[in-house]
Amino acid sequence: MRFVIIGNGVAGINAAGKIRSRDSGAKITIISSESDHFFSRTALMYVFCGQLSAEDVEPYERDLYARKNYERIRGRVAKVDSGKRVLALTNGEIITYDRLLVASGSCPLKPNYPGIDLDGVGNFVTWQDLEWLTEKAKTARKAIVVGGGLIGIETLEILHLAGIKTTMMVREDYFWPIAFSKAEGDMITAHVHSHGVEMLLSTETAEVLGENGKVTGVRTTKGDTLEADLVVFAIGVRPQTDFLKDSGVELDERGGIIVDEKLATKAPDVWAAGDCTSVVWFNGVRRPEQLWYTGRDQGRDAGFNMIASESERQNYVRGTFYNSAKFFDIEYTTGGYVNFNFDGECDWFQCDLTNETSQRITYLADGSVVGFNMLGSRWDHRLFVKWVEEKRDIKWVLERLGEACFDEEFSKKFKVVESAPA
Amino acid sequence: MQTGLLNTYNKSVSNRSVIAWVLSGVLLTFYVLMYFTEFFAPIAAKLHLGGKWGLYGTLYTLFIVVFGIVFIRRHGKTRYQKLRTVSIMFFQVVFAFALPHVMEMFDTPGYNFAYFWPLNYSAFYPSNIINQPLPFILYSFLGSLILVPILTFMYGKRWYCSWVCGCGGLAETAGDSFRHLSSKTSKSWRFERFSIYAILLLAVLTTAIVVSGFILSAKSGGEYSAMYPVFSKVSNGVKGFYSFFVGAILSGVIGVGLYPLMGSRVWCRFFCPLAALMGLIQKFGRFRITVKDEMCISCGNCSAYCEMGIDVRQYAQNNQDFKRAACVGCGICAHVCPRGVLKLENKWDFASWGDAAGVEHADV
Repeated sequence: MRFVIIGNGVAGINAAGKIRSRDSGAKITIISSESDHFFSRTALMYVFCGQLSAEDVEPYERDLYARKNYERIRGRVAKVDSGKRVLALTNGEIITYDRLLVASGSCPLKPNYPGIDLDGVGNFVTWQDLEWLTEKAKTARKAIVVGGGLIGIETLEILHLAGIKTTMMVREDYFWPIAFSKAEGDMITAHVHSHGVEMLLSTETAEVLGENGKVTGVRTTKGDTLEADLVVFAIGVRPQTDFLKDSGVELDERGGIIVDEKLATKAPDVWAAGDCTSVVWFNGVRRPEQLWYTGRDQGRDAGFNMIASESERQNYVRGTFYNSAKFFDIEYTTGGYVNFNFDGECDWFQCDLTNETSQRITYLADGSVVGFNMLGSRWDHRLFVKWVEEKRDIKWVLERLGEACFDEEFSKKFKVVESAPA
Repeated sequence: MQTGLLNTYNKSVSNRSVIAWVLSGVLLTFYVLMYFTEFFAPIAAKLHLGGKWGLYGTLYTLFIVVFGIVFIRRHGKTRYQKLRTVSIMFFQVVFAFALPHVMEMFDTPGYNFAYFWPLNYSAFYPSNIINQPLPFILYSFLGSLILVPILTFMYGKRWYCSWVCGCGGLAETAGDSFRHLSSKTSKSWRFERFSIYAILLLAVLTTAIVVSGFILSAKSGGEYSAMYPVFSKVSNGVKGFYSFFVGAILSGVIGVGLYPLMGSRVWCRFFCPLAALMGLIQKFGRFRITVKDEMCISCGNCSAYCEMGIDVRQYAQNNQDFKRAACVGCGICAHVCPRGVLKLENKWDFASWGDAAGVEHADV
């Protein structure tokens, strides 16, 4: 049986691993237009900074494909015909499959501002983007990062470290309201400012300005003009599924591949995993979840279901939410559900602005905790998830919060300072 | 971002460029001249540092102190990194450098209390022991045979390798710019497992042969070499070979000379017999690195900056707490992890007794 996987990212490679572990003889083909080797997309910023080499960010030794007997094709899929179980590459090559996994990931959202196609305007998502940004950073003197998310702040940091005067434009009135309270967002903004980097809030792009085909700056909706010879848009991503038009695979309105609970699409023998996949969230909403962790999990589960018999196939279960990030020097750990606006939810919050740490615990009217948001120090999210699943009381949790501390040895002992809710 | 690691691959000294090769050549030459010639003796005399080894000790200590300060500026944000670096500077300056000098001033033979068998391969040579005061002899035995195993069982070999040891001290400080150059391939791990235990075996055999030779010679009065001509020859040969091959070539010339090409822990990782011994104890001891499940983003910072060439990421992305014999507990993997996935810990939890083998080729 021939398994074809579109995408050499975390979802694709985990699916391939699952298939191989169940069937040493299966023919497995991985198609990628981006890279020969699976690499950690989250680590692109470190390659840019010269902190890691290209090979350092590859999670497995380079003999992986030979060792696991994966066939590799560098190419871009142009079209899929799920009725005939065949796909075509842009170079005309035709590939047949018995089972297909679409793990094509996402691509940056491209807003249609005037001037968006000027030289010096781009994104920071793919390996090619890394090469582009590395080249541009050699000559750039002033840069603008548009977008107040994770890729945005990482791009801001690395451009700043490359010695480029960089400004970040954030649409929202404080940083990252999707996951932060205002106090948390303001702490990050202050931290960014302390590095001598500007983060403009409530600022949106009206037009990208240019001269002779090259970018010269951005005009904001307030009418201000910001100068720059490099502009990076990081306003989000969308599923990379254009090639699935007329394929028989059903997409949602955002372009996400609609799958059932077993990650199978509506088309026969076509599965989907990772950023391109539209899954149902715990609260019933259907949309893609563009995280490294869910890409990995969906890849594993889709791969398993592709090789398993129908009766063995298992549901993809998201599990309690957790995530992590880093904003310049401030580490972030979350577990459970914060900023989901449950009825009657309250926050317990304490922060230490000197050491740039904060802890927030969201709990419901009956006292049961639903989520943790921790900045500036290290925490074991496994305990957070456990406590949320056990619906522990906020007071009970506060008495034991120190147990979840995951800081390096000899670090300052964590203390609960703010009183527990009555 | 770890500002201390910024541009590691863009700095010519740390990216195996021509400059790194030249530096390696200079270091190799320096060590060959130091060990096998009296080239530095006149310089040492001029500087009133005694013999060439006085000069060497002074330079060595100077490097650890200067680059120790550099290290603290780079990685000293957390107390673990700060404390262990201060500790390593302290043991070099006081125990390895100053104390022996002071002792000599009082006509006691200089003794480094931070230097144990079998790293100190002549510690049990009877010819050495005989000249020492009794407390030092006791310390040699108790230190090497009791203190080292107990501390290693309790805290991992890090208490020595990255808090006390002079070889480790130079690696951690002057070698910091080269830590990412250690090979992470499974092939290099296989070589390490062969070479380090081979040297341990050699060290044990050498000590045993030399001690037996002494016993025999004591028994035979002055007739030792006449009565056991082969054994006395072998004994002298083995002793000489060990001090030449392991004591000079591996720990000195190659150990430091290859810093700019193969990383700072070539000696500690592939050859040090004390590291080998402590590594075996470590696998059954309390020290381990705990991994937070499913939180790794596989970025590779931990593996890249592991000076011992451990592919830490394989454990992190496989959700495996681990004990590896090689780990010197420098803590840099945990320090550079952008998601706080790793934690160095001592725990009375032996669910994973001896389980350190881990993943050579982790399944995806």
